[in-house]
Amino acid sequence: MNIQKAIYNDSGYSPERLETLLAADAQKHLEQMAQKARQITRQRFGNTIQLYAPIYVSNFCVNHCPYCAFNCKSKLPRTRLTIEQACKEADILASEGFRHILLVSGEDKKFINIPYLAELTQKLREKFSSISIEIYPLSKEEYEILFAAGIDGIAIYQETYDRTDYAKFHKTGPKSDYDWRLDTLSRAAQAGFRSLGLGFLIGLSDWRTQTLALTEHANMLMKKYWQAKVSFSFPRMRPAENVDKELFKHMISDTELVQMMLSLRLCFPDSEIVMSTRELSGFRDNMAKICVTRMSAGSKTNPGGYTVEEASLEQFEVADDRTPAQVSSMLKSNGLEAVWKDWDKAFIK
Amino acid sequence: MKDKLIIAGKEFSSRLFIGTGKYSSNKIMAQSIEASGTEMVTVALRRVDIQNPQDNMLAAIDRQKYLLLPNTSGARNADEAVRLARLARAATEINWLKLEVTPDPYYLLPDPIETLKAAEILVKEGFVVLPYINADPVLAKKLQDIGTATVMPLASPIGSNQGLKTKSAIEIIISQATVPVVVDAGIGMPSHAAEAMEMGADAVLVNTAIATANDPIKMAQAFKKAVQAGKEAFEAGSAGIKNQADASSPLTGFLRD
Amino acid sequence: MAVLKINGEDKIFENAVPSTLKALLELLKVDEATVVAEVNGQIIPRNSFYNTILKDGHKIELIRFVGGG
Repeated sequence: MNIQKAIYNDSGYSPERLETLLAADAQKHLEQMAQKARQITRQRFGNTIQLYAPIYVSNFCVNHCPYCAFNCKSKLPRTRLTIEQACKEADILASEGFRHILLVSGEDKKFINIPYLAELTQKLREKFSSISIEIYPLSKEEYEILFAAGIDGIAIYQETYDRTDYAKFHKTGPKSDYDWRLDTLSRAAQAGFRSLGLGFLIGLSDWRTQTLALTEHANMLMKKYWQAKVSFSFPRMRPAENVDKELFKHMISDTELVQMMLSLRLCFPDSEIVMSTRELSGFRDNMAKICVTRMSAGSKTNPGGYTVEEASLEQFEVADDRTPAQVSSMLKSNGLEAVWKDWDKAFIK
Repeated sequence: MKDKLIIAGKEFSSRLFIGTGKYSSNKIMAQSIEASGTEMVTVALRRVDIQNPQDNMLAAIDRQKYLLLPNTSGARNADEAVRLARLARAATEINWLKLEVTPDPYYLLPDPIETLKAAEILVKEGFVVLPYINADPVLAKKLQDIGTATVMPLASPIGSNQGLKTKSAIEIIISQATVPVVVDAGIGMPSHAAEAMEMGADAVLVNTAIATANDPIKMAQAFKKAVQAGKEAFEAGSAGIKNQADASSPLTGFLRD
Repeated sequence: MAVLKINGEDKIFENAVPSTLKALLELLKVDEATVVAEVNGQIIPRNSFYNTILKDGHKIELIRFVGGG
């Protein structure tokens, strides 16, 4: 496909269009892509960025993912939060202004199980308009229980869509089941989840192939589960304790990450594009001006990180450690408004 | 490689469907159908005129060449539509059906609620349902969810010949569709049909524009060409329109630092 | 005297109504092959026309295909 057509023709997504936008040749046109992406984002989303914060409830995990600080072989101290402790974390976030939160956990099924999550959610739903989860895959029935309790969003990354690479990085444990993980977003959608967060861990496999697989996955979900909103995240390999960088051969440059994000915005004008605190503040600020619609701020990726002084084990090193107020102020100086609360459970009680 | 139109597992080479109403004679109707190159024609069900029982339009349609698609025109609610559907199936043993529920006799606009109700019943009874609807993207998705074989959004009211008044909504329907989209009703000129195909519609259904033309046979030929042209244009892909870029400072300058 | 309601209108028969649906169609000169029939709201399959018994007061609908969009 001709690159001008790929950038400017509002034809939606096709694999052909995406490949053209991701190609090395397209990098000459990055500024044009950015201008168009910004125009589309402003039209669809206005001058707003939605802010959210994660609460890590447990860093125990039975899986052995070599890229994650929580992997079960890691000897560093583990923490899990009681419901009361998790609520205390949530209180701090609420006082900072957050109304959208993401509950995150390692695969710690014995403790962070459905009754725990349901009970925690019921306590939190008074204070927060939207609660999402980023945990291990569940069955449709389990998602239905959580949905009834008040969870309406899910984020789960396939890590890599390449089956061979997936097997390489997930040799044992429940996470070794590729298909169970792949199908989980469909199950959540069937259970009624309104927000479906996709992504792959950038660095595990070739990024262009993975982006194409990601968009095919997204396209299927959008067609089939048309009442849910798809969002894209970009977890990029970052330094962390116990993570072996020799193993990960497909790291990408900032330019390539920008190209990926712009391509997704052009092909999916209505999907959310999410930027977490894995990325540096400068990078986040610049992308906020172009096509990002949702950001975390002031994140702590260790359980108890908001309340406790002494840091427990973090999942990854947060690269942007500004406070939520600082992030909000940065957005304002760029003509953007931070939106803390976008949806209210009260509408559907 | 041109892709074929497939509806409920059946392949069609022609993306033009023809309605059989409003012709001045059965003979002209038959000739127009032939000229259009169509492979499927719609028919309606009405009471036999006891005073004039010989009139049999169906005899003029070669059922070896053309598939019959009975419609439920005249139905004002789901119950009536379902009854007509069952009658049609009893008559022909075909289970294909154009579902049409139009309580409003002025504009003949389709009732979304009754259409959805009827579609649900008929899909369960094994009908291949092609529902005629207003260009409502959410309704279109709901019908696809329950298993209709296509969706058929109107371009403008039946017989109005106004063309694609519902263009933006049809664009959304096409972008979200998991079944073929047939633009049906209000197509007044071959250019409207071409426009629909250029947008990505899978087929069009035309009746009034051909039947009431001065020369229906010639008009049928024109429509045939227009549908082909529109489809080919869609496949060829246009060059794209460049928007004005914002004349502000470069957004990607930060990458060069 | 007997009556059948056919397509919404009463049709009066001197002595008795035709004994079967098939007989009625013959009387009306309606080609069996082109028609769908309902007797008292029930659709009658074509191969049952010959043994569908009609009685005084029955409601018959005779429907066929016509041109339509």
